[in-house]
This record gives sequence, C-alpha cells and structure tokens, in this order.
Amino acid sequence: MKKIALTAVAALALVVTFAFTLVQGWKISDKCNITFSGTGVNGIFKKFSGSIAFDEKNLVQSKFDVAIDVASINTGNGLMNKHAKDTEWFDAAKYPAIKYTSAKIVKSGAGYTATGTLEVKGVKKEVSLPFTFTAAGSGATFAGTFNINRNDFKVGKPGGDVADVIKVEVSIPVTK
Amino acid sequence: MFKKALLLGIISGALAGLASVVYQNKVYLEATGVEFAIVKPLNIFAASIAGGLLAAIGFTLLTRFLKAKGEIVFNLLFAILSFASILLPVGYKLPLDAEAPELFYGLAIPMHFFPALGWFTLKPLFFPSKQA
Repeated sequence: MKKIALTAVAALALVVTFAFTLVQGWKISDKCNITFSGTGVNGIFKKFSGSIAFDEKNLVQSKFDVAIDVASINTGNGLMNKHAKDTEWFDAAKYPAIKYTSAKIVKSGAGYTATGTLEVKGVKKEVSLPFTFTAAGSGATFAGTFNINRNDFKVGKPGGDVADVIKVEVSIPVTK
Repeated sequence: MFKKALLLGIISGALAGLASVVYQNKVYLEATGVEFAIVKPLNIFAASIAGGLLAAIGFTLLTRFLKAKGEIVFNLLFAILSFASILLPVGYKLPLDAEAPELFYGLAIPMHFFPALGWFTLKPLFFPSKQA
C-alpha cells in the first residue's frame, strides 16, 4: 500500500514538473515597441520589463507578468512628456509602472487572447488583450493592437483635446 | 534702398545661420552631448536667410510708408515676431526616436533670435544714422 502511494506521489510530481517545464520562458528584447495614438496625442513607451512564459501547446501554464516604465514615455515634445508624467495624467512619481498580469490565455482565431489585470495609475481593471505570436528561429515576437479608454483608469480628464479611447500597439521581440 | 536692405537681409541671415551652426556644434552639443538630427545646417542657413529677406521686405515697406517712424515700428515688430516665433519649437513634435526632446528648446529657441541680432548688428554699416 505504501509503495503504491509513493509511486502515485512520484508520478504526480513528475506530471506537475513536466507540465511546468513545458512552458517556455522568454527573455524580453530591448527593441520593444509600445506605441499609443489617438486624436491629439501619440507617442511611445521606451522601457518594458517583466516575465513572459508562453507555450502555444501549453496555454494553461502560460503567463504574462509585465510592466511599462511610465517615465519612459516619449511624445516627441518635451513639454508634453512632462505634462504626461504629472498628477493629472499618469502621475509617474506615485505610480511609476503600468502593470499587466495575465490570468488566462486562450486561442482566439489566428492568434490568442490574454485575459488579466491591467493596472494603470493605481486603478486595476480586467481586460482582454488580443495578440499574435510569431516564432522565428530561437526568437519570437508578440504583437497586439487594442483600445484602452483612459477614463477607466482616471488618466487625464474626460473629453478635452485628447481622445478618450487610445489605440495601443505592442510589438515585443523575445528570445529563448 | 531696397537693394541695400536686401543685401543686409541676406548677409545678416547668413551670419545668423553661421552663429546658429556654431552654437549647435560648438556650444550646445559640447554642453549636452545631445544631437538632434532633424536640425540640419542647410535648414538653419535657409531659415535664417529667409528671415533676413523677410526683414528686408518689411523694413523697406515700413520705412517707405511710415517714413521716420517706420524704423521704430520695424524694430519693434522684428523683436516681437522673433519672440513670438519661439512658439514654433515649443510646440514642435520631434520624431519619437529622438532622445531627450526636453533639451530641444535650449537648442532651437536661441536660434530664433539670431536673425534679429544679425540685422541690428550690421544695420549701421548699411544705413548709417544721419548726424544732426
């Protein structure tokens, strides 16, 4: 009986270990491109970090836990950059990072959809982000385009010269 | 009169362009280490000479129609327009790959005053003041 139990535990441990080792961890390249655009504003975030574990064959164990450095924002205009970091907009001093942690990743058409928590300016909201994964050699690229309503995260005041809904385009090259 | 003003405009504009290029490469770049590829010497010279030519046209028209007061109005207008023109670099959007856009103002704003400076410096050589 003891032998059977030990064998069962060992088998279970093996299965769990096997399941976890199947998920590929990816190293984020410096050449990330995170752009945002909308009426009255466009720009990029230059710094992106975090951990990406993704395997097309093991979506259950795949996970994104990433962050954007708010201070790395660049709109092409120094005054606008300063304004964007102010309390009215991103409040970079108090909330230095925009964070995203996925809870679930599912296959969706030709690509995938990650559902998780997006935290901007201290406000957490569940969002679904569609993305594609293109493997090439020892590397790959995650890419996605989605819209974010800045009012959901209290970024800026509603209305005004800047559009409420901002289009975000993400391209993240990664290596094994 | 117009020919002299035109010559003054071209020479003072070229001088302003030269001063701007020297400022960009020998002062600003040395001090900050930041280079803005969008600010090209050819563009600087072209803009400075264009400023000088506009000044020549303005000076000629104002002194022709307003006589003695024309120069006073011109000087005032040239100074005001030079000052107002700093709104252009303040509102300018650089390419998104440009590093440190907040340092762009320190480069571009002084350049907007060089054409006026060149004009006011060289004007006595072209239009000596009449002695009483």
